[in-house]
Amino acid sequence: MENKEFALDAEAIAAPEAAAAVEAITGESYFVRLNYSERAQHMIFAICFFILVFTGFMLKLPEGFLAFFGQAGELLFRYRRLLHRTAGTIMILVGGYHVYYLLFKAAGRRWLMDMLPRLKDLKDIRDNLLYYFNIKEEPPEFDRFCYKHKIEYGALIAGTTIMAVTGLILWTQYQWSKFVVDIAALVHGMEAILASLAIMIWHFYEIHFQPHKFPLDNLWITGVISEAEMKEEYGLHYKKIMNDPELQKIYVREKSDRNAKS
Amino acid sequence: MGPAGDDRNLKREIAMGPVNLHRVQILILTILAAVLLLIPGVSAFTQTDTLADTENCLLCHRYPNLGRYDEFGKKRVYYVNPEKFALSVHGKLKCKNCHIGLDSIPHTEVQKVDCATKCHIKEPSTNQEFSHANMIQKYEDSVHGRGAPQKPKPYPEDLPTCKYCHNNRVPNPFDGQWGLSRALFTETLARCQGCHTKDRWAQNFYAHFVHRMRQRRLPAEVIKLCTSCHEDRDKMARHGLESIETFKDTFHWIEIKFGVKNAPDCLSCHVPLGYATHDIRPRSDPISPINELNRIQTCSNQGGMQACHPGAKAKFATGRVHAYGTKAQMLAGRQINDFESLSRNLILERAEHDISEDEIFRFQVLQFIRLMYKIFIGATILFMAFHQWLDFLSAKRKQKHGK
Repeated sequence: MENKEFALDAEAIAAPEAAAAVEAITGESYFVRLNYSERAQHMIFAICFFILVFTGFMLKLPEGFLAFFGQAGELLFRYRRLLHRTAGTIMILVGGYHVYYLLFKAAGRRWLMDMLPRLKDLKDIRDNLLYYFNIKEEPPEFDRFCYKHKIEYGALIAGTTIMAVTGLILWTQYQWSKFVVDIAALVHGMEAILASLAIMIWHFYEIHFQPHKFPLDNLWITGVISEAEMKEEYGLHYKKIMNDPELQKIYVREKSDRNAKS
Repeated sequence: MGPAGDDRNLKREIAMGPVNLHRVQILILTILAAVLLLIPGVSAFTQTDTLADTENCLLCHRYPNLGRYDEFGKKRVYYVNPEKFALSVHGKLKCKNCHIGLDSIPHTEVQKVDCATKCHIKEPSTNQEFSHANMIQKYEDSVHGRGAPQKPKPYPEDLPTCKYCHNNRVPNPFDGQWGLSRALFTETLARCQGCHTKDRWAQNFYAHFVHRMRQRRLPAEVIKLCTSCHEDRDKMARHGLESIETFKDTFHWIEIKFGVKNAPDCLSCHVPLGYATHDIRPRSDPISPINELNRIQTCSNQGGMQACHPGAKAKFATGRVHAYGTKAQMLAGRQINDFESLSRNLILERAEHDISEDEIFRFQVLQFIRLMYKIFIGATILFMAFHQWLDFLSAKRKQKHGK
């Protein structure tokens, strides 16, 4: 057993990125990125999102493919509608809770303040693109949420609101003129395409395909990242935390209470 | 009739000049018929249990290979399946009730079947000879009719005739409808058979009613039938109509696609409760169910087997159902060049009458939203893909340099 660990260490010395990983394992602290409530919100939201995408785009299935289901098609159609509306309702409720969380919980208010767009984000975009083009040596130091997160979060709020409003219009179609229903149907469909593609390209890349996160970042389950990762990805936030004992209480967890509720 | 008669036919064929394929085929059939007559005992098979073939037509017509290619190269099948025919809606009629001019063999004098022919069956409510003339008159007055004699419609060959939609089908099975068990129908039929002891008669009579107790075709079949003409762009354009593939942009179609029973097909709105299929009227006609005066009733279908949109109010019900198609595009100023100018003018003329300025505005708003979204989706996704690609490259670079 000991030999095996030793072998791992030896390999780690040979490859610098593996060395960083080992440092992370042996490092003292973890940093909280998502607390318990945020992880729960994300989990419910994500499950609803997939159900909605699946049951929604089922409407676009080609006729020939549906013929395969035969008599079961009708049942499929009824459950599709029920599932879609149930998941939609839950998503709206989670969205509503999130607004409450942002306004009335200390952690939520911190989230909101950290998420607000600032001038630094524009500079970060510029500097990060310069880094991508290999003009600058180092990427900018990001705070708790970088511009990528802020864009995505903004898109999430806008998208959820649009989908919720148009979805409710379609659900209560008799209260509206057919023109309003037509617009709602069009927007609901187009926004669905946009949201699905954005999640696939933007969000899945961040958590699955970034070279050091492949195949899946487990942040959404554990809520924490290692000190090394923290330094690397959110340098500015790391410095802020290290200089402020109050923030340390919130964001830093010792290795021993990794599984404690955070 | 016999070999002597066939010889006469042969002589006539020869006397009538060059022998073409058509005549040769008639000749072969005639000889075949003659040979069959000579086989003893053949007539014993010509009557089946199910069909009283008093005219002895099945002598020849029970052979599945009986047929020919006509002068237009079209395959004509003259085979009659006795069992199937006996079960069909016309199963009790004699062949010659509908097919006039069959007296000579080969059948050179035969006329096209006219559904208005009186078929010597007494219609029980009036005790007069039955015919479909009444229905045909309604049909001629409808949107599918040939138009008034003084003002006939152009291209009459495009208009569907009786046989385009009706194919002498077997009545729908009268069991297990609307969630009712087969037992209900079996018990009801048993009650009929208590007095009406001839089982076949009772079953036919019962099927006659039950056949009409629900839509005869599945929604997908109705769509297939109607779109066989209405999705033909050129055929529709000749009459100033637009193709109705726009129906497939509606939620109604999605239900049909999934195979939902009683899903809304063409007939649900164009022939709702209280209307007859043969009496489809243009939208401008105040008695048409899709005229705006009657829309609330059509959408809600109050009193029908299935109340479709029971909560439909005027503003919901008076809206557009099919997506905007060719007509709206033309009025909105879009150039559509794949029509002949005559057709284009016809469609435009109709469009100006059918589509109000309000609707054109709505069409343009929807088009605008669609276009904006397309641009927005394209731009957003391109930006995202580009950004993440750069991120990927830089991460790889970093790994390579060991930073």
